[in-house]
Formats: sequence, structure tokens, C-alpha cells
Amino acid sequence: MNPSFKHIKPLLQTDGNKTSRWFSYIGLCIGVLLLLCSIQMFVNLQSLLRQNSTRKNGYDFIPVRKAVTNETMGNAELNMFSKEEADELSKQSFIDGVAPLIANNFRLQLSAGRVLEFETDFFIEAIANEFIDTVPSSFIWKEGDETIPMIVSSDFLEIYNVFAPGYGLPQLSEATISSLVLTIKCFDRQQNEILFKGNIVALSDRINSILVPKTFLDWGNTNFGNKPVTKASRLYLKTKDANNPELLSFLEKKNYKLNKDKTRFGRVKQVLQGVFTGLGFFGLIVVILALLLFSFYLQLLIAKSKDNLQLLLTIGYSPTWLSSNVAKQFIPVYIIVVLVALAITQILQWSFHHFVMYNRPELSSFIHWSLLAVTMLLILLSGITNHWLVKKLLHNFYKQPQ
Amino acid sequence: MQLQIKNLLPTYFDESRKNNSEVWGKDLIFNSGELVKIVAPSGSGKTSLIHFLYGIRQLFSGNILYDNKDLKNYSIENIAAFRKDNLSIVFQDMRLFSHQTVWENLEIKRQLNPFHTPEKIQELCERLGIGDKLNSICSNCSYGEQQRVSIIRSFMQPFDFLLLDEPFSHLDNANSEKAMELILEEAKKRKACVLFVDLERVEFFPYTRILHL
Repeated sequence: MNPSFKHIKPLLQTDGNKTSRWFSYIGLCIGVLLLLCSIQMFVNLQSLLRQNSTRKNGYDFIPVRKAVTNETMGNAELNMFSKEEADELSKQSFIDGVAPLIANNFRLQLSAGRVLEFETDFFIEAIANEFIDTVPSSFIWKEGDETIPMIVSSDFLEIYNVFAPGYGLPQLSEATISSLVLTIKCFDRQQNEILFKGNIVALSDRINSILVPKTFLDWGNTNFGNKPVTKASRLYLKTKDANNPELLSFLEKKNYKLNKDKTRFGRVKQVLQGVFTGLGFFGLIVVILALLLFSFYLQLLIAKSKDNLQLLLTIGYSPTWLSSNVAKQFIPVYIIVVLVALAITQILQWSFHHFVMYNRPELSSFIHWSLLAVTMLLILLSGITNHWLVKKLLHNFYKQPQ
Repeated sequence: MQLQIKNLLPTYFDESRKNNSEVWGKDLIFNSGELVKIVAPSGSGKTSLIHFLYGIRQLFSGNILYDNKDLKNYSIENIAAFRKDNLSIVFQDMRLFSHQTVWENLEIKRQLNPFHTPEKIQELCERLGIGDKLNSICSNCSYGEQQRVSIIRSFMQPFDFLLLDEPFSHLDNANSEKAMELILEEAKKRKACVLFVDLERVEFFPYTRILHL
């Protein structure tokens, strides 16, 4: 039979040191509050900034190019990505895929027959299909096909529709553009013309280019331009978060340029993450200091109750039972303090969502589950450290002459 | 249960103490049911002996064995359990919770391993003349009353050995005799060995063995 602690409790002299005890409770509450708020704001930040770029299956696709400097201006090779550089990028943990945007190395002309009377030199590019946001089943080409399917940036159509009226050309809708039959003139090294039909099969919001199937471009580069193109001036990166500060720092270090619009939140995020990490760290220090203060209070309490505790041990009370019961006395207080901090964090999150973020759907009015886990961990940690401390002190009593 | 002491001597005593003592430096065995009187003048190490046997001081050479198990090998938890179930004591300096009532002092001990009912506590207190003191704070009681509380507290648990360290030093003869009567009754109930360490003066302890310290 285990004895009841009811008769033992009055033997602990808890009357004194009230100020120090309350200071430690308040300190613990503030520390936990800071810690929980920092974690919640960190989570909020992740949710808010993950939504700001064109995503496919939860990924961001961002183009990178090399910065053209005065030193590299004359040498196009230096401004291109080699295979080794592409491999280095794909090895980074924050990059889930890399695809080069291959360009043509032979001359091309485009005309649109009688509907749109113009003829212009132009360029085509090709990229792995998984990097294109809209890939219809007709986007394939094999040797012998006369028609080349094309995917054009939707920005190009927008620009065309802006200047077309000024030149007396008809404006085109997304639906009509696919019915246009374009004529593509390819020139080989001897400037002989080879004619193909071009058909716009889709528009892309992601890639600012005129895309053709890679099979056609490889064939054209080999047959008209002498050799296949291996280097690319642009690479597309597939990443879970285009605003990942680690990614941005890496690209900056390599002096690679990227679309600022897609990563404009990255810097802000970097700064805010720093602020919240600092705040979280500060909270953690306050928690540690509060626990330390409480441990001093506990040591003082035990020192004041030393005679009684020593006598309990002398008459046969088990040190393990006694220490676990003494430590248990403070667990309800710890639970209350930490739950108060949790409740305040919940109120703050609700207010932040409603009054600051105006109920944005990316955020939740409720705190993140990780906060509950941290709360449980803190209660467990304080319980264990208290038990350990009291047990150590009581064992010391045993070793002293009584 | 058997208690064995082998060549026991406090480390702060000179070896020559062994020559004139029937306990220090000797090999002795005490069995259940024995009533052992250890007579000792002041300064001969009465309290040291009791404290060594109870395991609260370890400043001795030699060995103390309970059922052939050396007390030095007991863990802290084992000693606590042994004191709860097998070994009881009456300290010379009483060692009561001075700010608790008489009843609370007895109840704190009783809870560990109850041998008597709360009703029996009342009866035991009545027999020793402190029945009306149950709700008194111990520090307000006289030394004589506190000593009687300390004696009754030792009955609150089962035991195989009862260690008495000058248990009647603050009692008159009449009260000492009443207390002794109760001690013998309680020891008989448990078939326990009583080790009664005192100055020469108590004559009414019906010892089965006497040793001079």
C-alpha cells in the first residue's frame, strides 16, 4: 500500500518565497508565450508565402540565367550553363529538378500567310515536357512530320493583341490562335529553305518562349545547324518553394539571375524568418531562465523543509516515492501556466487572422498542431527536471549524517 | 530474522575499546524473540551502536548483517523498505515532527505499513497517559509526553527488531514501567527481538541476555 501524500504535504514549507515562486510562474508563462507565438508566426509565414507563384503539383518552376557582365559580353559560351553546372544545381536539396531551355542554332523565319501578312526571323526553344504547364497530347513531332506543334507564351499573345490594331492586323483570341496555320522556313548552312507548317497547340503562362517538341529541335540543330546544342542560356528549376531563402542565397552566391517577381517575397521571408527565429530563441532563453528560477525556489523549499524530509526518510519513507510526490505537487501549476500561454497564443492567432490578415484562406484561425506538441514537451520536460532535482537533493540528505 | 554483528567498532573509537567491551570488536548473533539489554555508561557509544544498526550512520569498521545480508550492500530504497517492514526504533532524541500534532506524527508513520487501526492508536495513547494530547502540537508537549509519542510511533509498523535508545530518559519510574509493559506486549505480538540500550538504572526489563558495551 502506498502512503497518502496528504499528511506529508504540510511538512513542506511552501509559505515563504512566494515572490520568487510567482516570478518564476510569470516568467515561464511569458517565455512559453514568446516561444509559441514565434512558432505560430513561422508557420503563418510559410503558409502565406508558399502561395505566390505558378504551381504545378505543389512545385514552383523558376527560370535562372547567368548575369551578362562586361567581362562575359563578347563570349556567349560563358553566359551559358554547362552540363556540370546544371548537375550541381540538381544536387541541391532544395531543388527537385533542373531542365535546360535549348535554343535553335540555325536560322528560322515565320510567316502567317494571308491572314496575318508579316514575315519575321524568330527563335524556337525546347524543354522537357514535365516543366511545361500545358502539354496537349498533340505536342509531339517525329522525323517526316510536316507540321510542328508549338506552345507559345501567353504574354506574346497579349503583346501581339496590343500592337496589332496599330498595324491593321486582326486581334486574336486564345481559341482562334490554334486555328492559325503558320509557315516556318528553316535555313540550312547553305541557306537552302526547308518549309514546315506551324500550329500553336497551347499557350503557356510559365515559360516565356516559343516552344517546340525537343525531338524537332534536336533534329533541326543536327541537320541544319551542324551539331546538337548541349548548352543552355536558361535553366528551369523545379522547387517546392521559390521563396526558400536557402535557394535564393545559393543562386545569389553563384551569381545566377532569376525572375524577381517569382521570388519577391523571398527576401522579406528571409528577414521575417530571422526575426521570428530570434524571437523564438529569446523565448526559449526566457523559458530556461524561468525553469532555473523555479529550480532555485525548489531547492530553497527543500532546504527549508530539510529537517522534516530527512525525518521522513529516517522513519522509512522511500526517497523515490517522496521525490516523485514532492515534484508532482508543482505539475498542476506548470500545466496551468503553459495552458494559459497556449490559450493566449490561440487568441492572438485568431485576432491576427481576423483583424490583420482579414480571414485570408491560406491561414487558419486555430494554432498549428506543432504548438500542442511543444506544450506537451515543455510540461514533460519540467516534470522530469523537477523530479530529477528533488530526487538528487533527497538522496544527498541520505548520505549526510542524520 | 537474524541480526549478526562482526567485529564492529566506530571509526572514531580507539582499537583498545574492544578489550573492555562485550559488543565492540565481537561477533554476536541476535535472533527473533530475544530480549537483549545492552548496558552502557555515558560516552561508550550507545547511540552510535543504535544508529549503525538502524543504518543512518556508516562510520564503523566491521559488518552488520540482517539475515546474512550486509547492511553496507543495501541500496537506499532497500534500507527504506527494511525500516518500513522489519526494523523499528525509539530515538533518544525522539525525532518527532515538532509542528505537527501527536496524532499526525503517529499517522505519518502508520501510513507506511499500517499494523494498528486508528482506534488502536487512541487506546495505546490512553494506556501511556497521553490520550488527551492527540490534538496537541508536539512542540507544546513535555519531553516526557514526546518520549511516549515516540515509543507509540515505533508500534505503528510491523518489525522483527525493535531498537530502543534510552527510551525512558525523560520518564518517571511509573510511566517507564507502563511503557515497558507495552513494549513487551507489542514485541511479543510480532515475535520480535528487542535491543534495549540504556544506562544501568532500568531494572524492570526482563532481558534474556545482557551485554556490557
